[in-house]
Amino acid sequence: MARKHGPTVKEDVTANLIPMIDIMFLLLLFFMLGADMSQRELAELVLPMADTVVEEKKEKSDDDEFRTTVNVCHRSDSATFNCPVNAKNLVCRQMDHWQIVIRSEEFDLETVKEQIETLAGRDGDPDSAREPDIDPIARRKMSRRKISIRADKFAPYGHVQQLITLCGLAGIYKVEVGAAKPPIEKKV
Amino acid sequence: MAGVSVGESDENPVAINVTAMVDIIFCLCVFYMCSFKFKQLEGKFDSWLPKDKGTGGVGDTTALIQEIRVALFWDDAGQKTIRRFLSREVTSDVELQQFIHDQHADNLRLGKTDVPVIVDAEARVPWTEVITVINLAKREGIANIEFALGLPLQAK
Repeated sequence: MARKHGPTVKEDVTANLIPMIDIMFLLLLFFMLGADMSQRELAELVLPMADTVVEEKKEKSDDDEFRTTVNVCHRSDSATFNCPVNAKNLVCRQMDHWQIVIRSEEFDLETVKEQIETLAGRDGDPDSAREPDIDPIARRKMSRRKISIRADKFAPYGHVQQLITLCGLAGIYKVEVGAAKPPIEKKV
Repeated sequence: MAGVSVGESDENPVAINVTAMVDIIFCLCVFYMCSFKFKQLEGKFDSWLPKDKGTGGVGDTTALIQEIRVALFWDDAGQKTIRRFLSREVTSDVELQQFIHDQHADNLRLGKTDVPVIVDAEARVPWTEVITVINLAKREGIANIEFALGLPLQAK
């Protein structure tokens, strides 16, 4: 009597990883392209909402070289500092808890003056942000620098006011203030 | 998963070990996924400073005052902002917008098209309150918005 043999099973079964690698590559590409490395200029803060705000243009212009973002935000909690009011997302009115951040560098209201003057540019320096000719209205050389103020929604107005004053004194007249566009509500 | 041959093993007998590559891609994916943040739509209000006034002290005091002034004060006890339009306390945005609208319409009837909205806020007022006033003025089509400033630092 002949013995029946079952089907032979091939032992070296390997998972086909190629589709997974393909998908992983696509995911990686998506996240790499989506990651905005220019975030260093922008500090972590919550902007106030305004529906009439003008959205920024994506294309680069010649003015971008002389453009600086100034952030006004609350100091973050650390081992040596903590603010229970801010931690509860309430309005902190301790003026020294608020700081000015320019390209990840922190300043207070006293130390930022020198920085603003440096940004405005010095006379005589060929690479300076200072305009080459004397402005007929201001009767002095104004700065080509554009200052973009991004202040947290709870930031004290005094800090922004001080920044505007310092810009005016340093000859920077191109000032803009940042706000967030509210999400578009879907009509039912 | 020791090694995976690309294609049929008969056609390509050399197996490429992709384990290390998959590991690295996984790490990169996790890194980018964790650091990924959906960007909020941001915009700007152009607030270019006047070249002929602003930090040099008060202007012509004999001129007739033509302005739409909104005053903002910080109430420490109530932890809220008090808004005043002329002598009236304004609580809602709708009410404030209506006041700005009426005043602006009156000015337009008189042929004064460039009367500014002046935001006169105390230093401790939250920035969002100032932006709200700017936003309401912009909604009414007023382009001329000014910030009331104190005396220059040297004079204080």
